[in-house]
Amino acid sequence: MHFTSKDIDQYVGQKEYVDTAVIPLIELDLSANGMKASANASEYMQSLTAILEKQFKGRILLFPPVSYARESDRTKLAVDLQAELRKTSFQHVFYLTADAQWRALDDLPNVLWLPAIPTGDMDQTFKKSVMEDQLRQVLPLFMKEWTHHS
Amino acid sequence: MSNNRVSRRQFLGYTLTGVGGFMAAGMLMPMVRFAVDPVLQQKDAGDYVLTGQAVSEITEEPVRVDFSYEQVDGWYTSDVTNSAWVYRDGDKLIALSPVCKHLGCTVNWGGDAEHPTQFFCPCHAGRYEKNGANIAGTPPIGPLDEFDVEDQDGFVAIGAVKENTLV
Repeated sequence: MHFTSKDIDQYVGQKEYVDTAVIPLIELDLSANGMKASANASEYMQSLTAILEKQFKGRILLFPPVSYARESDRTKLAVDLQAELRKTSFQHVFYLTADAQWRALDDLPNVLWLPAIPTGDMDQTFKKSVMEDQLRQVLPLFMKEWTHHS
Repeated sequence: MSNNRVSRRQFLGYTLTGVGGFMAAGMLMPMVRFAVDPVLQQKDAGDYVLTGQAVSEITEEPVRVDFSYEQVDGWYTSDVTNSAWVYRDGDKLIALSPVCKHLGCTVNWGGDAEHPTQFFCPCHAGRYEKNGANIAGTPPIGPLDEFDVEDQDGFVAIGAVKENTLV
Protein backbone atom coordinates (compact mmCIF):
# COMPACT_ATOMS: atom_id res chain seq x y z
CA MET A 1 0.00 0.00 0.00
CA HIS A 2 1.07 3.54 -0.55
CA PHE A 3 1.13 6.29 2.01
CA THR A 4 -2.04 7.89 0.66
CA SER A 5 -5.23 8.67 2.52
CA LYS A 6 -7.18 6.04 0.61
CA ASP A 7 -4.69 3.26 1.31
CA ILE A 8 -4.32 4.32 4.91
CA ASP A 9 -8.07 3.94 5.41
CA GLN A 10 -7.70 0.37 4.22
CA TYR A 11 -4.55 -0.14 6.29
CA VAL A 12 -6.32 0.88 9.49
CA GLY A 13 -8.91 -1.83 8.89
CA GLN A 14 -6.38 -4.52 7.96
CA LYS A 15 -3.55 -3.85 10.40
CA GLU A 16 -2.95 -7.48 11.26
CA TYR A 17 -2.26 -8.30 7.60
CA VAL A 18 -0.20 -5.25 6.70
CA ASP A 19 2.63 -5.85 9.10
CA THR A 20 5.63 -4.55 7.17
CA ALA A 21 6.82 -1.01 6.63
CA VAL A 22 9.19 -0.11 3.80
CA ILE A 23 11.06 3.18 3.98
CA PRO A 24 13.34 4.26 1.14
CA LEU A 25 16.28 6.36 2.35
CA ILE A 26 17.60 8.77 -0.26
CA GLU A 27 20.68 10.93 0.02
CA LEU A 28 20.55 14.33 -1.63
CA ASP A 29 23.88 15.35 -3.09
CA LEU A 30 23.34 18.64 -4.87
CA SER A 31 26.97 19.42 -5.76
CA ALA A 32 27.65 19.89 -9.45
CA ASN A 33 29.39 16.52 -9.70
CA GLY A 34 27.11 14.51 -7.49
CA MET A 35 23.71 15.69 -8.61
CA LYS A 36 23.24 13.33 -11.51
CA ALA A 37 24.29 10.26 -9.53
CA SER A 38 22.08 11.32 -6.67
CA ALA A 39 19.10 11.79 -8.97
CA ASN A 40 19.74 8.42 -10.53
CA ALA A 41 19.91 6.73 -7.14
CA SER A 42 16.62 8.36 -6.23
CA GLU A 43 14.97 7.29 -9.49
CA TYR A 44 16.22 3.74 -9.08
CA MET A 45 15.06 3.51 -5.50
CA GLN A 46 11.61 4.80 -6.34
CA SER A 47 11.16 2.39 -9.28
CA LEU A 48 12.31 -0.50 -7.16
CA THR A 49 10.05 0.27 -4.23
CA ALA A 50 7.14 0.84 -6.61
CA ILE A 51 7.38 -2.65 -8.09
CA LEU A 52 7.99 -4.08 -4.65
CA GLU A 53 4.76 -2.43 -3.52
CA LYS A 54 2.96 -3.84 -6.51
CA GLN A 55 4.07 -7.36 -5.66
CA PHE A 56 3.31 -7.14 -1.94
CA LYS A 57 0.54 -4.57 -1.90
CA GLY A 58 -1.42 -6.39 0.77
CA ARG A 59 1.44 -6.85 3.20
CA ILE A 60 3.66 -3.79 3.03
CA LEU A 61 3.07 -0.11 3.49
CA LEU A 62 5.47 1.86 1.34
CA PHE A 63 6.38 5.19 2.86
CA PRO A 64 7.42 8.19 0.82
CA PRO A 65 11.21 8.38 0.49
CA VAL A 66 13.02 9.93 3.41
CA SER A 67 15.50 12.36 1.88
CA TYR A 68 18.35 13.97 3.74
CA ALA A 69 21.33 16.13 2.91
CA ARG A 70 24.71 14.59 2.26
CA GLU A 71 26.09 15.89 5.53
CA SER A 72 23.08 14.93 7.63
CA ASP A 73 23.65 13.01 10.81
CA ARG A 74 22.40 9.57 9.87
CA THR A 75 22.54 8.27 13.41
CA LYS A 76 20.12 10.94 14.55
CA LEU A 77 17.89 10.29 11.57
CA ALA A 78 17.84 6.60 12.44
CA VAL A 79 16.91 7.30 16.05
CA ASP A 80 14.11 9.68 15.04
CA LEU A 81 12.67 7.30 12.48
CA GLN A 82 12.67 4.41 14.90
CA ALA A 83 11.03 6.48 17.58
CA GLU A 84 8.28 7.40 15.15
CA LEU A 85 7.81 3.79 14.05
CA ARG A 86 7.43 2.61 17.62
CA LYS A 87 4.05 4.33 17.60
CA THR A 88 2.85 1.88 14.95
CA SER A 89 2.12 -1.83 15.09
CA PHE A 90 4.47 -2.92 12.29
CA GLN A 91 6.18 -6.23 12.97
CA HIS A 92 8.84 -5.72 10.33
CA VAL A 93 10.48 -2.55 9.08
CA PHE A 94 12.74 -2.46 6.03
CA TYR A 95 14.88 0.44 4.96
CA LEU A 96 15.97 0.44 1.34
CA THR A 97 18.83 2.63 0.30
CA ALA A 98 21.51 3.16 -2.30
CA ASP A 99 23.54 5.30 0.10
CA ALA A 100 26.64 3.33 1.07
CA GLN A 101 27.12 5.18 4.34
CA TRP A 102 24.35 3.17 5.96
CA ARG A 103 26.41 0.02 5.59
CA ALA A 104 28.88 1.27 8.14
CA LEU A 105 26.19 2.14 10.67
CA ASP A 106 24.44 -0.30 12.94
CA ASP A 107 21.75 2.12 14.05
CA LEU A 108 18.99 0.62 11.96
CA PRO A 109 18.04 -3.02 11.67
CA ASN A 110 17.09 -4.37 8.23
CA VAL A 111 18.79 -1.81 6.05
CA LEU A 112 18.94 -3.25 2.56
CA TRP A 113 21.69 -1.56 0.64
CA LEU A 114 21.53 -1.86 -3.14
CA PRO A 115 23.93 -0.28 -5.59
CA ALA A 116 21.96 2.03 -7.86
CA ILE A 117 21.80 0.99 -11.48
CA PRO A 118 21.65 3.83 -14.02
CA THR A 119 18.21 3.09 -15.44
CA GLY A 120 17.51 6.58 -16.76
CA ASP A 121 18.78 5.98 -20.29
CA MET A 122 17.32 2.51 -20.75
CA ASP A 123 14.28 1.93 -22.87
CA GLN A 124 11.12 0.91 -21.06
CA THR A 125 11.16 -2.84 -21.72
CA PHE A 126 14.82 -3.22 -20.81
CA LYS A 127 14.39 -1.12 -17.70
CA LYS A 128 11.46 -3.26 -16.68
CA SER A 129 13.41 -6.49 -16.98
CA VAL A 130 16.36 -4.98 -15.08
CA MET A 131 14.08 -3.82 -12.27
CA GLU A 132 12.44 -7.22 -12.10
CA ASP A 133 15.85 -8.82 -11.72
CA GLN A 134 16.53 -6.40 -8.91
CA LEU A 135 13.23 -7.29 -7.32
CA ARG A 136 14.18 -10.94 -7.42
CA GLN A 137 17.29 -10.08 -5.38
CA VAL A 138 15.22 -8.40 -2.71
CA LEU A 139 12.27 -10.80 -2.48
CA PRO A 140 14.10 -13.61 -0.65
CA LEU A 141 15.18 -11.14 2.04
CA PHE A 142 11.55 -10.25 2.67
CA MET A 143 10.39 -13.85 2.59
CA LYS A 144 13.16 -14.82 4.99
CA GLU A 145 12.25 -12.08 7.45
CA TRP A 146 8.59 -13.06 7.30
CA THR A 147 9.07 -16.78 7.80
CA HIS A 148 11.70 -16.16 10.45
CA HIS A 149 9.45 -14.15 12.71
CA SER A 150 6.01 -15.53 12.10
CA MET B 1 -53.77 26.29 -68.29
CA SER B 2 -55.85 28.80 -66.48
CA ASN B 3 -56.96 26.06 -64.04
CA ASN B 4 -53.39 25.54 -62.90
CA ARG B 5 -52.58 29.15 -62.61
CA VAL B 6 -50.77 29.86 -59.40
CA SER B 7 -51.95 33.00 -57.73
CA ARG B 8 -49.56 35.40 -56.09
CA ARG B 9 -50.97 34.40 -52.69
CA GLN B 10 -50.43 30.69 -53.39
CA PHE B 11 -46.94 31.28 -54.76
CA LEU B 12 -45.91 33.16 -51.66
CA GLY B 13 -47.46 30.48 -49.49
CA TYR B 14 -45.56 27.66 -51.19
CA THR B 15 -42.31 29.60 -51.14
CA LEU B 16 -42.56 30.44 -47.44
CA THR B 17 -43.50 26.87 -46.49
CA GLY B 18 -40.59 25.53 -48.51
CA VAL B 19 -38.02 27.91 -47.09
CA GLY B 20 -39.40 27.50 -43.55
CA GLY B 21 -39.26 23.76 -43.95
CA PHE B 22 -35.61 23.87 -44.95
CA MET B 23 -34.79 26.10 -42.00
CA ALA B 24 -36.62 23.83 -39.56
CA ALA B 25 -34.86 20.79 -41.01
CA GLY B 26 -31.54 22.61 -40.77
CA MET B 27 -32.09 23.18 -37.09
CA LEU B 28 -33.57 19.79 -36.23
CA MET B 29 -31.12 17.57 -38.07
CA PRO B 30 -28.11 18.31 -35.87
CA MET B 31 -30.26 17.94 -32.78
CA VAL B 32 -31.50 14.54 -33.88
CA ARG B 33 -27.94 13.59 -34.78
CA PHE B 34 -26.71 14.55 -31.32
CA ALA B 35 -29.54 12.69 -29.66
CA VAL B 36 -28.91 9.39 -31.43
CA ASP B 37 -25.11 9.73 -31.49
CA PRO B 38 -24.42 7.37 -28.58
CA VAL B 39 -26.30 4.64 -30.45
CA LEU B 40 -24.29 5.17 -33.62
CA GLN B 41 -20.98 5.25 -31.76
CA GLN B 42 -18.96 2.23 -32.78
CA LYS B 43 -17.32 0.08 -30.19
CA ASP B 44 -13.92 -0.36 -31.74
CA ALA B 45 -11.21 -2.83 -30.93
CA GLY B 46 -9.27 -0.06 -29.19
CA ASP B 47 -10.59 -1.33 -25.87
CA TYR B 48 -8.24 -4.25 -26.28
CA VAL B 49 -4.55 -3.86 -25.61
CA LEU B 50 -2.35 -5.85 -27.95
CA THR B 51 0.49 -7.75 -26.30
CA GLY B 52 3.65 -9.26 -27.71
CA GLN B 53 2.58 -12.77 -26.80
CA ALA B 54 1.88 -15.09 -29.74
CA VAL B 55 -1.31 -17.12 -29.34
CA SER B 56 0.38 -20.19 -30.81
CA GLU B 57 2.78 -20.31 -27.86
CA ILE B 58 0.02 -20.38 -25.27
CA THR B 59 -0.42 -23.81 -23.72
CA GLU B 60 -2.50 -25.16 -20.90
CA GLU B 61 0.17 -23.93 -18.50
CA PRO B 62 -0.57 -20.31 -17.49
CA VAL B 63 2.08 -17.82 -18.60
CA ARG B 64 2.49 -14.23 -17.56
CA VAL B 65 1.66 -11.75 -20.31
CA ASP B 66 2.57 -8.11 -19.78
CA PHE B 67 0.71 -5.26 -21.36
CA SER B 68 0.82 -1.51 -20.86
CA TYR B 69 -1.69 1.25 -21.31
CA GLU B 70 -1.96 4.92 -20.52
CA GLN B 71 -3.48 5.97 -17.26
CA VAL B 72 -4.55 9.48 -16.33
CA ASP B 73 -4.45 10.37 -12.66
CA GLY B 74 -5.55 13.96 -12.24
CA TRP B 75 -3.14 15.85 -14.48
CA TYR B 76 -0.52 13.14 -14.34
CA THR B 77 -0.47 10.74 -17.29
CA SER B 78 1.60 7.63 -16.98
CA ASP B 79 2.20 4.37 -18.77
CA VAL B 80 1.00 1.57 -16.57
CA THR B 81 2.32 -1.91 -17.06
CA ASN B 82 -0.01 -4.65 -16.04
CA SER B 83 0.05 -8.37 -16.49
CA ALA B 84 -2.30 -11.29 -16.90
CA TRP B 85 -2.01 -15.04 -16.53
CA VAL B 86 -3.02 -16.50 -19.87
CA TYR B 87 -3.64 -20.15 -20.68
CA ARG B 88 -5.54 -22.27 -23.14
CA ASP B 89 -8.66 -24.17 -22.20
CA GLY B 90 -9.64 -26.34 -25.16
CA ASP B 91 -9.62 -23.85 -28.03
CA LYS B 92 -10.51 -20.94 -25.77
CA LEU B 93 -8.05 -18.45 -24.30
CA ILE B 94 -8.39 -17.61 -20.63
CA ALA B 95 -6.75 -14.55 -19.06
CA LEU B 96 -6.82 -14.12 -15.30
CA SER B 97 -5.94 -11.01 -13.35
CA PRO B 98 -2.88 -11.43 -11.12
CA VAL B 99 -4.37 -9.26 -8.39
CA CYS B 100 -5.10 -11.22 -5.21
CA LYS B 101 -8.65 -10.70 -3.98
CA HIS B 102 -7.47 -10.46 -0.42
CA LEU B 103 -5.51 -7.23 -0.28
CA GLY B 104 -4.27 -6.78 -3.82
CA CYS B 105 -0.85 -8.42 -3.94
CA THR B 106 0.37 -10.04 -7.15
CA VAL B 107 -0.14 -13.78 -7.40
CA ASN B 108 2.20 -16.20 -9.16
CA TRP B 109 1.51 -19.48 -10.88
CA GLY B 110 3.21 -22.29 -8.98
CA GLY B 111 4.71 -19.78 -6.56
CA ASP B 112 4.46 -22.30 -3.77
CA ALA B 113 6.62 -25.41 -4.15
CA GLU B 114 4.02 -27.57 -2.39
CA HIS B 115 1.23 -26.57 -4.77
CA PRO B 116 2.79 -26.29 -8.24
CA THR B 117 -0.56 -26.25 -10.05
CA GLN B 118 -2.12 -23.37 -8.16
CA PHE B 119 -1.80 -19.62 -8.08
CA PHE B 120 -0.02 -18.50 -4.95
CA CYS B 121 -0.04 -15.14 -3.21
CA PRO B 122 3.21 -14.64 -1.27
CA CYS B 123 1.77 -12.08 1.14
CA HIS B 124 -0.51 -14.22 3.23
CA ALA B 125 -0.26 -17.59 1.49
CA GLY B 126 -3.53 -17.25 -0.41
CA ARG B 127 -4.06 -19.91 -3.06
CA TYR B 128 -6.26 -20.23 -6.15
CA GLU B 129 -7.10 -23.05 -8.52
CA LYS B 130 -6.07 -22.75 -12.16
CA ASN B 131 -9.50 -21.36 -13.06
CA GLY B 132 -9.08 -18.69 -10.41
CA ALA B 133 -11.28 -20.24 -7.72
CA ASN B 134 -10.04 -19.33 -4.26
CA ILE B 135 -9.18 -22.27 -2.06
CA ALA B 136 -11.12 -22.44 1.15
CA GLY B 137 -9.08 -21.98 4.27
CA THR B 138 -6.75 -19.41 2.67
CA PRO B 139 -7.33 -15.66 3.19
CA PRO B 140 -8.81 -14.66 -0.22
CA ILE B 141 -12.55 -14.11 -0.18
CA GLY B 142 -13.32 -14.53 -3.88
CA PRO B 143 -12.00 -15.90 -7.16
CA LEU B 144 -9.43 -14.06 -9.29
CA ASP B 145 -10.88 -11.58 -11.77
CA GLU B 146 -10.86 -12.40 -15.44
CA PHE B 147 -9.88 -10.32 -18.46
CA ASP B 148 -11.67 -10.25 -21.78
CA VAL B 149 -9.18 -11.75 -24.17
CA GLU B 150 -9.06 -12.26 -27.92
CA ASP B 151 -6.78 -13.37 -30.69
CA GLN B 152 -5.75 -10.42 -32.89
CA ASP B 153 -3.76 -11.60 -35.91
CA GLY B 154 -2.07 -14.32 -33.92
CA PHE B 155 -1.30 -12.21 -30.87
CA VAL B 156 -3.03 -12.09 -27.52
CA ALA B 157 -5.07 -8.94 -26.89
CA ILE B 158 -6.28 -8.17 -23.39
CA GLY B 159 -9.53 -6.33 -22.80
CA ALA B 160 -11.55 -5.14 -19.85
CA VAL B 161 -11.46 -6.81 -16.47
CA LYS B 162 -14.60 -8.60 -15.36
CA GLU B 163 -15.72 -10.92 -12.62
CA ASN B 164 -14.64 -14.51 -12.93
CA THR B 165 -17.04 -16.43 -15.17
CA LEU B 166 -15.35 -19.82 -14.86
CA VAL B 167 -16.08 -20.61 -11.24
